[in-house]
Amino acid sequence: MAKHRGRGIATIEYPTGMNQNGDPSQAWIKVKPDGRIDVFAGTVDIGQGSKTVHTQIVADTIGVPYEWVTMDVSNTDSSPICTGSFASRGTFIGGNAVRFAAERVRERILEIASKEMEIDAADLEIEDGEVVAKGAPDRKLGLADVAAAATWTHGELLTGAGAAFKPYSTVDDDTGEVDSEPHSAISYAACVAEVEVDDETGEVRVDKLVQVYDVGRAINPTLVEGQIEGGALMGLGLGLLESSYPYYPSVEHRGEQFGAYLAPTLEDLPDLDNVILEHPSADGPYGAKAIGEMANNAQPPAIMSAIHDALGVWVTEAPATPEKVLNAIQERRAPQRDGKRVVYDDQISIAAVSGNRGKGGDGEGFLLPDE
Amino acid sequence: MRLTVNGIERELSTRPLDTLLNALREELGITSPKAGCQQGGCGACTVLIDGEPRRSCLTPLVAVDGATVTTVEALGEPGNLSPVQAAFYEQYGLQCGFCTPGFVLATTAMLERNANPSREQILEELVGHVCRCTGYVKIVAAVEAAARGDVSEAALEAGATGPSRREPEVLVPGSPA
Repeated sequence: MAKHRGRGIATIEYPTGMNQNGDPSQAWIKVKPDGRIDVFAGTVDIGQGSKTVHTQIVADTIGVPYEWVTMDVSNTDSSPICTGSFASRGTFIGGNAVRFAAERVRERILEIASKEMEIDAADLEIEDGEVVAKGAPDRKLGLADVAAAATWTHGELLTGAGAAFKPYSTVDDDTGEVDSEPHSAISYAACVAEVEVDDETGEVRVDKLVQVYDVGRAINPTLVEGQIEGGALMGLGLGLLESSYPYYPSVEHRGEQFGAYLAPTLEDLPDLDNVILEHPSADGPYGAKAIGEMANNAQPPAIMSAIHDALGVWVTEAPATPEKVLNAIQERRAPQRDGKRVVYDDQISIAAVSGNRGKGGDGEGFLLPDE
Repeated sequence: MRLTVNGIERELSTRPLDTLLNALREELGITSPKAGCQQGGCGACTVLIDGEPRRSCLTPLVAVDGATVTTVEALGEPGNLSPVQAAFYEQYGLQCGFCTPGFVLATTAMLERNANPSREQILEELVGHVCRCTGYVKIVAAVEAAARGDVSEAALEAGATGPSRREPEVLVPGSPA
């Protein structure tokens, strides 16, 4: 009886946006007479930080300080449609919606500034809240003055709307092919797990996870890291602790006690080594792809593979509870038939070989092992 | 039942055997203690009772008659955060925020008893609080930063409105008003 150490790897790829597309996000933006920016969008921040990332995208696209932008993302009356915060689509699709809206607002600002400064709009740019003539940085006008001129002189509203949408891709039933790309981008990740397994108790401890995520451009690396770390512990839970089975999705036989559903706690916290790899996408906002849902996919297979490295046996179903680990060890030690490894399991072996269970018309025939 | 909640003395009409959590949320409208598992397992309902972190979901109101109860509402406010709140803000020690009041209160109480906890002591003290978003890494970083006093002025003033938001020089330039 001993403790065994093992190391395993898993790689994954994950699509950005809803499978087969058809999931719009929309946004509209207005500039107040004091030059401050109001964004109305429907992508709800559930803690992943989409509000921060969208604010960054709007501020950078228009050319104003981050603090000038206010996001209103919680009012379904005032905000246009967003399909939702799911499918790893918030930064890419929601982000593109606010980017497109911000690009239009930027054009409108330059249009009014052009009249005020008597310089062609193509020769103007916006930097840190000021409209500046290209090549002549002393000729500038604050955004507050442009917005005021729009309001009080020209009688116009600086506004812009944007929508990100990839049309629904149809599947050909005969060939299985789709008529357009069924996703917006593909993100990639790899995870290496180092585990220690006790072959007496079946207990697995994850000591370290090394995780590499290609998310396109990391618009906010701290938030990406937050997703990686959060996903690490979710993935650890899926690999070792959490299960809704055997009766999911029936609610009748689910655990009644909160404590019966085990989620990772501070006790389970492994060493984490995170790497963000940037391979910018062609059409995401500033090259972004996604992290979102992919963050908890690579850890369970990496952990299973590390257990195999440690013990030489595969646990074929997550989570790798002590019971399953011990069963896997025992199965390898189980007696063999005629020197061959033959597996029959009355839970998983398929019992029926034909409609009459292998019997002939006379009721004779071979007996299944449970008869 | 009488309680001093966040410095204000209250006379409560919630039934004595109902939980402190329900009295705070339903009668007083103080919603920072969260009704998570309501079995004492997740830590989201944690409040300070006479300065000690306790599960308000398992605490009958009658058991704390006359006590002093503190929730995060009393620790600080936007623009004037407590050092622990500011550390959570600065280290990005939260995502959805559901577990945050419990973590912040437990950390506040721990640092009052032990201003310089080791990493092992932090993990042991806070292990009863479940977080499903952050993977705990930045929560522990926030607790360590708060213990070190490594909290910036800007973080203490987070959430402030007014001049710190870089308000424009002229509120409504060109306005006839």
